[in-house]
Amino acid sequence: MKEITEKELKKLNIDELTHLFVDNINEQNLKLIEGIEFLVEEKFEDFTKNLNYVIETNTEVQIKKVFEAKIFKSKLMFSKADRLKLFSKINDIKNIGEFFANKMLLYKVVFPDNEFKSQLVRVLKSLKSISNGLTDAVKAIGSNLSNAHNICEEVKEERRKMRKNEWDLLNRLYNYDMDYLSRTFLYLKELIEDIMMLADHIKSFSEYIQFLATKYLIFE
Amino acid sequence: MAVDIISILVVVLIVLAIALAFSIGANDETLSTLVGAGVIKFKVALLIGGIAVGVGMFSFSFAFVAKTVGADLLGEAITYTEFMLLTVLISSILWLVIGSFAGIPLSSTHSLVGSIFGVVIVYSITHEAVNPETVFNWAKLNNVILGWFLSPLFGLIMTYVLFKLLAKVYLSRLKGLNQIEKSEKYFKWLLLIAVIFAEIWVGANSGEAVGILYGLLDGGTLNLEQYIFFAFICGVFSCLGIFIAARYVIRNLASQMMDSRPSESLITQISSALILMIATFLSLPISHSHVIVFCIIGMSVAQRKEVDYKGLGKMAIYWILTFPVAAILAGLIYFGFNLFGLV
Repeated sequence: MKEITEKELKKLNIDELTHLFVDNINEQNLKLIEGIEFLVEEKFEDFTKNLNYVIETNTEVQIKKVFEAKIFKSKLMFSKADRLKLFSKINDIKNIGEFFANKMLLYKVVFPDNEFKSQLVRVLKSLKSISNGLTDAVKAIGSNLSNAHNICEEVKEERRKMRKNEWDLLNRLYNYDMDYLSRTFLYLKELIEDIMMLADHIKSFSEYIQFLATKYLIFE
Repeated sequence: MAVDIISILVVVLIVLAIALAFSIGANDETLSTLVGAGVIKFKVALLIGGIAVGVGMFSFSFAFVAKTVGADLLGEAITYTEFMLLTVLISSILWLVIGSFAGIPLSSTHSLVGSIFGVVIVYSITHEAVNPETVFNWAKLNNVILGWFLSPLFGLIMTYVLFKLLAKVYLSRLKGLNQIEKSEKYFKWLLLIAVIFAEIWVGANSGEAVGILYGLLDGGTLNLEQYIFFAFICGVFSCLGIFIAARYVIRNLASQMMDSRPSESLITQISSALILMIATFLSLPISHSHVIVFCIIGMSVAQRKEVDYKGLGKMAIYWILTFPVAAILAGLIYFGFNLFGLV
């Protein structure tokens, strides 16, 4: 993502800052997912590089600072608290992603077999899809709440499908003939569970957006 | 000596009427929607609201609700005596204080009219020369009581219809949060006008304080100049009531209304103001709080939100009880005065 100066950030309004923030966090999510794909392909160097990017990038801190300064002074009325909550929910994705990346960097795993790899790639593809969907939904809040609501419905549907693959993956892992206290087992278990955690947060965020749409939209 | 007691009584009555005007302002929460929406600065809102209530109270003190409370409720057979008015004030204030300590929301209008009823009934019983059938202007009393039932109902219907109309022609066409926020910015200025309008009618329909003074005018205790002066003082004190005492209630309620939309508040305020206006022109003292509660219910029904029917039922029981309880209380106090030979 293009670096942006504080001066440029200050010129942006609340909505533009939210969009920039969600783009930034989504980009980090995609880097994280790509990093895990590198791990699947055993490209450890690229994997480390991507995950370190997720941990070290701090553009979002600058955006958050400017956003918070602006929102407290802003003349927005009834949506102020909701916009602040929206922003903090985006920030939670960053925190989960960072936690996930730090944990994944503790060890470099070699996957048990190709079937496990291909199942994991399918899960990652879904994770990428819901992360992108959520970004679109956040961006649509300002201009079209109804559209945001529909995108969130798709995100939730994808999350539902994804859950089945995750349980299959865990089931597969538990049925390998391996030491259940081994680092490989623990690492892969944590990997699947952290993907679940991130995806669950995205789903709950989608529900929050749907709540906002219900709250603000008035139907005839 | 008797003249001295009456003079003291008149002074006490005027002081209590002014205190009542102050408490009307102090209990007025109409401004909370305006403060919650952050339209204007808090103190400016208090000042504007206070002036509007004061203007409403003073401007309509020569007829309408003040005349109903102070004269028209009574039949041709009687006029208020100072002790009757004192009893009415003591009883209604006492019942309101009991209600406040018990945490029961009560209507000062219902309490006052109930007290008048109790006092007049006991007066007619204790004075053999007075025919109980002619002590009241029964048609007026019936209209007042009918107004208490119809005004909240009309408030509910009006809010429902106005909101549905606004939703159909405008609100439902707003798509995104930015568009909604922008349109609400315009609504908040309309809300300012609506709240001023509402405050004027709150003042105009709060005939309790000036009604007592009108009773003194009608009984010949006060002359017109004195009445105008004290009615003006009542207006000023209702304004001070908002500025000095209502700020805490308003600030508290306003903080709970930060999330509420000015367009919704606008509809409830316009509806309640219109009901109060119509009731004032019909010379019917009604309860502002009852009307506003039903306007809010009308809004909830229109938005298909949940309505706390259990809480509403509980509130309705207190509303219905206020009139008879205040009447019994006032009757007992007046009977006590009678026993001691004060009346």
